[in-house]
Amino acid sequence: MKLRLAVFVAGASLLAAIPALAHHSFSAEFDGHKPVRLVGALTKVEWTNPHSYFYLDVKDDKGNVVNWGCEAGGPLALSRAGMKRGDLKIGDTIVVDGYLAKDGSHLIDARRVTLPDGRNVYGGSPGDGGPSDTSAAASKK
Amino acid sequence: MKRFAVTLILLIPALALAQGDGGRRQSGPVPTGPAPRATNGHPDLTSYWRDDGNANPHGNLGKDYPGFKLPFTPAGEAAHKYNLEHTIDPESLCLPGGLPREDIGDMGFQLIQSGADTIFIYQYGTFRDVPTDGRKHAEDPDPTYFGEEIGTWDGDTLVIDSTAFKDSKTWADENADPHSDALHTVERWTRPDAGHLHLELTVEDPKFYKEPIHYQRTWIAATAQHTREQACSENNIDVSAGHLGFGPGPIRADGTRGYDNPDPLPPPPTKANPAKTILPANYH
Amino acid sequence: MKLRLALSAFFLVSTVFAQDGGGLTASEPTGPSKPTPRTADGHPDLGGFWKGDRKTKPVGNIGKDLPGFKLPLTPAGQAALQFNLTKTIDPESLCIPGGIPRHNASGLPFMVLQTPKYVAFLYFYTYYRLIPVDGRKHSDDPDPSFFGEEIGRWEGDTLVIDSIAFKDEKVWIDENANPHSDKLHVVERWSRPDADHIHVETLIEDPKFYTKPFTYQRTWVAGPSGQVLGEYACSENNIDRDHLGPGPGDILPDGTRGYADIDPLPPPIKPATPPKH
Repeated sequence: MKLRLAVFVAGASLLAAIPALAHHSFSAEFDGHKPVRLVGALTKVEWTNPHSYFYLDVKDDKGNVVNWGCEAGGPLALSRAGMKRGDLKIGDTIVVDGYLAKDGSHLIDARRVTLPDGRNVYGGSPGDGGPSDTSAAASKK
Repeated sequence: MKRFAVTLILLIPALALAQGDGGRRQSGPVPTGPAPRATNGHPDLTSYWRDDGNANPHGNLGKDYPGFKLPFTPAGEAAHKYNLEHTIDPESLCLPGGLPREDIGDMGFQLIQSGADTIFIYQYGTFRDVPTDGRKHAEDPDPTYFGEEIGTWDGDTLVIDSTAFKDSKTWADENADPHSDALHTVERWTRPDAGHLHLELTVEDPKFYKEPIHYQRTWIAATAQHTREQACSENNIDVSAGHLGFGPGPIRADGTRGYDNPDPLPPPPTKANPAKTILPANYH
Repeated sequence: MKLRLALSAFFLVSTVFAQDGGGLTASEPTGPSKPTPRTADGHPDLGGFWKGDRKTKPVGNIGKDLPGFKLPLTPAGQAALQFNLTKTIDPESLCIPGGIPRHNASGLPFMVLQTPKYVAFLYFYTYYRLIPVDGRKHSDDPDPSFFGEEIGRWEGDTLVIDSIAFKDEKVWIDENANPHSDKLHVVERWSRPDADHIHVETLIEDPKFYTKPFTYQRTWVAGPSGQVLGEYACSENNIDRDHLGPGPGDILPDGTRGYADIDPLPPPIKPATPPKH
């Protein structure tokens, strides 16, 4: 009971803390019912506005390699979330958790990025209208 | 169990900081005392202003109405439906949000008052310049996203009267509520004390709304912040590659918008449970 | 591409002869010069609406003050220039901020607003830069941007703006598509010698692309009181985006750019009977 209450309080406060203003709506592009985890080697980083992009070579269970794009917040949002552009180097293996693009492309909305040093960083932008990562801080230890 | 609950509660301020504009610690101390005055005797509204967290539901022009229901005309209802189903968020297209949307947004803004110019600098490089030199509206101004803005001082209140608005590629708020080219906005800005900025906004649009709409809110002075360069068109893949669909996401009962009940992400990887690629079923 | 250049050239020509009342360039004011206005904290007030004068030639060329306008390019700089000329679309046409020092060489007017903590430069395409003048230093590892990380300080009556951390893609240093790298470092010294003039000395260093630092200096004239920048929504209907080719057009011997040689339009249609007055 206590845990459920704590989760409810946390959830409600998070919704209040996250401005619901849209630069664009998460659900105009991504499917909240298709969560994806990508583990792969970084082939390109675009540290740009309005979004940054991490491109990964991801091996499927048949051994085929597909290059995926992961859309994250722009540089200001990522810096505030604790990521610096120097944290990522081409060839690093990173884990990106997010939701699949509705139009079928190899693109996900990066809600959580696990860096090579094990840190988890929230990948969204303030006001992108998308779900927050409720476990980013929990795994910062 | 207990540690998990404690961790979640500690999470809230951490994420509030991570969200940028809402972060209290990053914003600097809130100034106290009376509002400063400019050399011409008017209150000086200059500051970076951040959301006070009380304008709920966020991003909704109808936040102060019962059930958040706006007084639409039939044309207004139809226009709202059209926006929801057939328009891409204009801000995603790197267009200015304009009025009244920028007053209703959550991201902070920089206000610079100097002589007879009052500049509002918004996110993504948009700004508007409000003259207060006594000029009147032009005969036939070209429509713009912010309208033709005329500022006057009414005692300690800055009144901004705006007409001549565009009628396409524009949303009145984050919920894709519509406005027409008949829009007329009157903003009354005051700085009741050094730390706060208050707005009383009246939105008239006889084509889409049966009566004028009233919206009010307060911002807090953030002395350690300023707007930063964000070049929207630098790498706008969402639009150039055609990924972005229409509308702001489902409008929820609480008056906000976005997503409904997403499936959870996998838990963060640990040494005991290292990460493995997980794709949705039937995806290749 | 040629049509767009022709139209742009026509636009610029027509504004040169436009009346000062609302035009984009200004002629020198007549009469004795008026003293520099000052703010309450004693600094010159750089605030105003600033327009190019007729003496600045060639406009849009960052090498304007060098003999023959020849920029001291390194081999990498030469290659970057060729790349810009042949493979890049004008970033400003793609609604990307021109940044600094490009805006200092531009033909378009700008506004300055000065407060004790910040000096704001507002540009014609609704871009801006906000320069803190509160004594802060550059950060350790600033993210690159189109205007760079700008830090301002007053040295007597001069506002010094030091900018580092520039982007190196989708950037032109001037209207002629000259290049700059991420090693660009710009130091501007702004002054207001009298009420009607603002002046800048711009020092440009970019060891990747230029063999030595060089300077660009310029004076603008105050527009009439009350002139403001209008809203400019670059992305509203940017149909050119899909039609534009690379480069700025031919670079002409006078250091400007555009078109070298075009066929004339057909002569105007004469009315069948002369119009009544």
